[in-house]
Amino acid sequence: MAKKTYDLLFKLLLIGDSGVGKTCVLFRFSDDAFTTTFISTIGIDFKIKTVELRGKKIKLQIWDTAGQERFHTITTSYYRGAMGIMLVYDITTEKSFENIVKWLRNIDEHANEDVEKMILGNKCDMEDKRVVSKERGEAIAREHGVRFMETSAKANINIDKAFSELAEAILEKTSGVSVEPVDRVTVDRRTDRQTIKCC
Amino acid sequence: MSADEALIAEGKNKFTVYCSRCPSKILNSGMGVYTDMTYNLPYMHHKADGDSTNVEDVKGYWQVSDIYTFENLGFSNTVENMKYLICADCEIGPIGWHDLSTKQSYVALSRVKHS
Repeated sequence: MAKKTYDLLFKLLLIGDSGVGKTCVLFRFSDDAFTTTFISTIGIDFKIKTVELRGKKIKLQIWDTAGQERFHTITTSYYRGAMGIMLVYDITTEKSFENIVKWLRNIDEHANEDVEKMILGNKCDMEDKRVVSKERGEAIAREHGVRFMETSAKANINIDKAFSELAEAILEKTSGVSVEPVDRVTVDRRTDRQTIKCC
Repeated sequence: MSADEALIAEGKNKFTVYCSRCPSKILNSGMGVYTDMTYNLPYMHHKADGDSTNVEDVKGYWQVSDIYTFENLGFSNTVENMKYLICADCEIGPIGWHDLSTKQSYVALSRVKHS
């Protein structure tokens, strides 16, 4: 095994109704989005992103729930091993905002209780079609004690910041305890998504 | 002598590997091992009138044994015990493939940028 090239590995999930732009939250250059017919037919399982926080090189492994947006299909096995969850709604769709509460309940029921959460109001540059005010987003986040941010995947506003902030929160929890990543290369989430224990 | 040889130093990638289409960094220099294997990969560019399952022989890959060695990379859903590799940012691909049984990833030299 080659020498370790990073300090920590965080597993993150993107969750929210279909059509809220979760997919475009996942990449920075959405104007360049170029999913070929071939790749879009198969679908994307996860992405690896590298960020640097407090001098530590952190690998983020990010899963999108695309295609599994119904509550009843997202249960314990899906959340297993997740250290952070991005809850995404679309500021131009009231329903996607209302469903955030349902998603929060689903997470409470099925996910590890110390999973770090963050709510993202995504707009993909459609301010003129906004129906959910920033204040309402902030209020629901405050009520549930969850971080909040508005993002524009298209204009690359706050996307990197959102991921960094979520990673920062997880980093605080692990309080600098280094995680040994050896033998934790898990690609198929359905069979074996492991939790990284840090103590 | 192939053009690939200018990209290799001590059997590894001499330069940092980037997406051919956007500024996304895929792999740091010296992290991939050159292998001259040939593998069938579907075309990156969908031909308007063509069949999207068209494949071509692609020779020359950077082999990486730990997926977390990559700086930024996307993985497709599983197809016959393998996953296709794509750019994590603009999602262009496939730029290579990942073998689920051996855990090895292969990035095609001809489908990325070196600098």
